[in-house]
Formats: sequence, C-alpha cells, structure tokens
Amino acid sequence: MRNLLNFIIRNSHWLVAILLIAFSFYLVFSYNSYQRSVFLSSANRVVGWCYTATSNVSSFFHLKGDNRRLMERAAQLEQEIHLLKAELDHLTATDSSKVEAFVMDTMEQKRFEFIPAEVVNLSFAGPSNFITLNKGALHGVKPDMGVISRQGVAGVVATVSNNFSMVIPVINPKFRLSAKLKNSDNYGSISWDGREVQQAQLGELPKHEVFQPGDTVITSFSRIFPKRLIIGYVSDMGESKDDNFNTFNIRLATDFYSLRDVLIIRDSFYEEQKMLEEEGR
Amino acid sequence: MKISYLYEGLLFVLLVLLQVLLLSRIALFGIVTPVVYIYFLIKLPIGRTPFYVIISGFLLGIVIDIFFNTPGMNAAATTIVAAFRGPIMNLFFERVEHDEFVPSIYNEAGAFIRFTVFIVSLHLTLLFFIESFTLFNLVNTLLRVVTSVVVSVALILAMDSLTYKKKSGDQA
Repeated sequence: MRNLLNFIIRNSHWLVAILLIAFSFYLVFSYNSYQRSVFLSSANRVVGWCYTATSNVSSFFHLKGDNRRLMERAAQLEQEIHLLKAELDHLTATDSSKVEAFVMDTMEQKRFEFIPAEVVNLSFAGPSNFITLNKGALHGVKPDMGVISRQGVAGVVATVSNNFSMVIPVINPKFRLSAKLKNSDNYGSISWDGREVQQAQLGELPKHEVFQPGDTVITSFSRIFPKRLIIGYVSDMGESKDDNFNTFNIRLATDFYSLRDVLIIRDSFYEEQKMLEEEGR
Repeated sequence: MKISYLYEGLLFVLLVLLQVLLLSRIALFGIVTPVVYIYFLIKLPIGRTPFYVIISGFLLGIVIDIFFNTPGMNAAATTIVAAFRGPIMNLFFERVEHDEFVPSIYNEAGAFIRFTVFIVSLHLTLLFFIESFTLFNLVNTLLRVVTSVVVSVALILAMDSLTYKKKSGDQA
C-alpha cells in the first residue's frame, strides 16, 4: 500500500500530464468543428463496421430458417408454374384442335406470346375508364394488342409510351368485341352500357338465341384475342335497342376491382392478317 | 532564484507576443510557419519539477490557443512535450551540474542544438497532426512539419545567440 502510494506520488506529474492532455483533446474535439467532424465520422465508421460484423454473424445463424423459407417458396412457385402452364396450354391448344385443325400445334403456340404486366393505374369512376400498365413500347407492346387477366378478357391496348401503355377495358363505352356463347355458333358483340362495373352486354344476337343463366361467353373471331377466351357469364336478359336482336347482360369474368397482374397478348400474325384484309377491301 | 522565475515569466509573455503578433502571420510559400514559443520549455532550468514544467507548458499552449481561437490544439502539443521534457533532457545532457542550469548554445552547443531540434520536431509534428487530424494529405502535412521545423530551429538558435550576454550575466 505504501509502495503504491509512493509510486503514485512519484509519478503524479504523469497523472497531471495525462489529465491535461486529455483536457486539451477534449477542447480540441468540442470546440473545433473540423476535428469534431473527423472524430465523429471515424467513430461512426467504427460503429458501422461493428454493426456489419454482428449482422454477418447473426445472418449465419438465420441461414437455416431462411433456407427453409426459400424451399417453401420454391415449391409454391413450382406449383404455380404448373398451374399456369396448364392454363396456357388450355388457352392456346384447344382452339387449334377445333378451328385450325390443319395448323400444327407448335405453330399455334408460337403465334401468341404473352407479356406480363402490372396495373399501375386504373379508373372506373366515370364512363371513359382506362387502365395503365407498366409495360410499353420498349417491352414490345403496340396498340391494338389484347390484354387478359387471370380470369378472362380485360381490354385492348389503345396507346403506348416507352414504358407504359394505356388500355381501354371492357368497361368502356368505346370497347367492342365479337363474342358468342360457348355452346352456340351465333356471334354477337360485347359492349358496355356504362352502368355497372362488373356487368357488360352481349348484343346483336339473333332473336332465336336462348341462354341458360351462367352460360359462358367466349371470344369468337377477333383480330386481337385468341379464340375461346372467356369474357364472362350470362346473367339475364337485357334491354335491346331494337326488336330484331337479343341482348344479354353478362357478368364479366375479370374482376376489375382487384385487377393487378395482366398479360398482354402479342399476335405474331396480326400485321399479316391486317394487311391482307385491308388489301382485299 | 526569484529573479529566474521573473525572467521565465517575461520570456513567456515575450514569446507569446512574438508568436501571436509576428510569426504566426508568416506563411512562407503557404506552408512554412515558424513556431518558436516552445523555446520557453527549452530554456526552463533543468531543476524545475515535472509539475512546474507540465503546468507551465499547458498554460503556454492554452494562452496561444486563446489567441488563435483553436482551443486545445497547441495546449495538447505543448503539454505532451512538457511531459516528456525531463526524459528527453536526460537523453542529451548527461552531466547535470546544478538545478539552475539553463541549456544554451554557449554552454553546450552540440547538445543544445540536438535537444532543440528534437523538441521542436516533436512539438510541430504533434501540432500539425492535431491540426490536420487526418492522414489524407500526409505528404503535405509532413512537408509542413519538416520545413517549419527547419525555420523554427534556425530562429530559436538565432534568438538564443542574441540573448547570450544577458543570460550569461544573470548566471555569472
């Protein structure tokens, strides 16, 4: 104890020196903005380094859980791919066997390509509704391409910019589409009377056309959509503009309220068909 | 004894005024700044207690800091130099004659010059590195240190040779 005291007394000037130096540096760091900023930023770098190191270590311990979650996600996506593949096969292959029996299946499949897109804006407040998609000319979208949702027909691309495209949906008074009942060969025309978002009209049908509630309405020949795409389901008899034709109210398959992901249909024969038909006129 | 304390006080004030009013306004080629107030620590008699040296060194630095509005920088540098003054002195002056021995260019020229160079180098290295506080512009900082050391040592030796007559009179 005495030795310790002696030691402290003998070296007390060092203690004083250290105290004074510490005080000086305290002054340096508290009253000189440049030195303070250097001190603070280097301190921050140290702290950031510590955080990075700890997160590296902790992420290692989370690997197992992360792995399991990824596997689950992969399985889920795999399942989804199978479902979508089946759906696509159904959409593309069915009509080739029926209408274009002489065209090879592979060719029919190649005819239509699908560009996935996301709805970025959507309006159905007024009569002139539109949908904005996040794919545009840079992604190969052109005007007059069809747009389908998971459930059925959604609309037709009207104008495109580089990164966006504007779609006229079924629920727009300008929209026209040739359609028919699934178990009939008589063609009619889809239009929208501007009243209800989920209800459109299938008009210009022959007077003798009959329906069962719930009958499926599908596309017939169209330059824009593949055949046999679902548009909606007949709900009841509608008002006709004149007595020569029947009009049915149909419940649209596409739920515009929850529209999120859509597919834009690219028809590789579109230009060819259009040119031929215009030449013939 | 008392007279030597008085001279130390006078030297303190004169060096601070010289540094503040004249030398620190010089920036030769933009980098060379003579710093001579550390001469006070060089000229303290060898027998002064470490306490005395450290406190006076701190006071010297803090006064300079007050004038330059750089709180702590000069104080830190001079306090560190003052703390190591004793061991450094033992390094260069082997014969401790008596407590009132004041190093001078006239009593031990070689040792005094080496001692001065060492103290000034230490002081200016500390000072400039505390000032720049980064290794980013290391070459520039080192250049400032070296050139300033050369000029400062030259000035201190010149001052010391000027004060010989008075000092020798005191000691005699």
